[in-house]
Amino acid sequence: MITRFFTDVRVRFNPFSPRAKPARLFLSLLPPNARASGMKIDSQMLPRASKEPATLAIKFKDGKEMNLELDKMRITEVMEEVDRHSRQLARKEELTGN
Amino acid sequence: MPPRIRVRPRVLCLRIASPNAPVQHAYASLATATTPAPPIDQTIRSVPPVLRYPPTQPPSHKPPQVRKSQLHRQYQSLLKSSPLLLLFQHNNIKAVEWMSIRRELAAALAKVDAEREQAGLEPLAQEIKLQVIQTGIFESALRVVEFFKPEDDLLDSASAANDPKTQASAKIPQTTNNTADERFTHGLSRRAYEAASNRKLKLELQPLLSGPLAVVGLPSVEPQYLKAILSTLAPSKEFPAPKRKANPAYHEPEVQFGLQKLMLLGARVEGKVFDQEGTKWVGGIDGGIDGLRAQLVAMLQGVGGSLTSAMEGASKSLYFTIEGRRMDMEEKEKGDGESEEKD
Repeated sequence: MITRFFTDVRVRFNPFSPRAKPARLFLSLLPPNARASGMKIDSQMLPRASKEPATLAIKFKDGKEMNLELDKMRITEVMEEVDRHSRQLARKEELTGN
Repeated sequence: MPPRIRVRPRVLCLRIASPNAPVQHAYASLATATTPAPPIDQTIRSVPPVLRYPPTQPPSHKPPQVRKSQLHRQYQSLLKSSPLLLLFQHNNIKAVEWMSIRRELAAALAKVDAEREQAGLEPLAQEIKLQVIQTGIFESALRVVEFFKPEDDLLDSASAANDPKTQASAKIPQTTNNTADERFTHGLSRRAYEAASNRKLKLELQPLLSGPLAVVGLPSVEPQYLKAILSTLAPSKEFPAPKRKANPAYHEPEVQFGLQKLMLLGARVEGKVFDQEGTKWVGGIDGGIDGLRAQLVAMLQGVGGSLTSAMEGASKSLYFTIEGRRMDMEEKEKGDGESEEKD
């Protein structure tokens, strides 16, 4: 997963719901120095009884915001969805030669 | 010219390899040596049982020498020996960060230890460790611990100790050296495997067991230690992290970066599963089990007082009504008497 274009990641999930697996895996896919390199990561854990779906909100460097409902997706689908935009940004960066 | 003798190196090698062992020749007619008859004891009584495997290594369902089996056994013992177990998720924590987190945890626990030693309680900090686990194996071990409950002991069917018929005084279970033996009670046995692989039984902790996990196990439910662990590893409003002045090492970047990537998921307290809030509640019990007892006693005393007053009230009111009724009737009787007198 291309993570270098994220500026802000917000995850909300209830760890006791089996649907929270992609949210937790997404957090484990962020690189170890993500926070040190300026990414804001905010993970909020819901209480056990809550039925709220797991959500993920990402802001990219170009200002695009992406809101995903994680409870109907698998982690591979989440990665695809996020990478689609990240690849565009990577190509733009390559063409401008930065 | 002397005749040429060919050297045969193979023959030489063979001779050198076993120089001391003379070649044994025997006549077939002499080979039928008779074995002496068994002593009369053995013919009358049955042969004492012999343990067919090392007592510490009963036959295992999966090959016991692989890392998986050993981890499985280790996790089972961790689960059985720690009534309070905290589950964390760790997201790409670096080795240096792990090291600093563990150092801080040990320091916080040592502080609690010192307090407890002054109060004359047993120190437990040495046994509390932050341990990264293999999630799948841990889940399987948890299934065995939860669902495999052998009620019969191996030694129940063992031959009695100090039985004059047996030679040894130690009890020996009558299990064979076969993995499929139904009498085994250890966690790595095939019976345990079959009990745990029943997919109809669901673990309460099941949804938590995915992704990278770490556990902290406490050998007894001591909210004092839990408090120290929570304020170190998962600081919150109720359990604030130590101040920078009190503990500057805690605020080093390595510790802080590591802690940002460590998430408290839940806890398993005496077989029951608690979420974050529940864990904080357990950590917030003052004085541990003794504190709870004191609370209960106070509550029961209050209940007793109110109960006696309530019952007294009832009897009092009953007394008052009956007394009132009596007075009333007496008055009526008097009235009747007076009226009769008048008539």
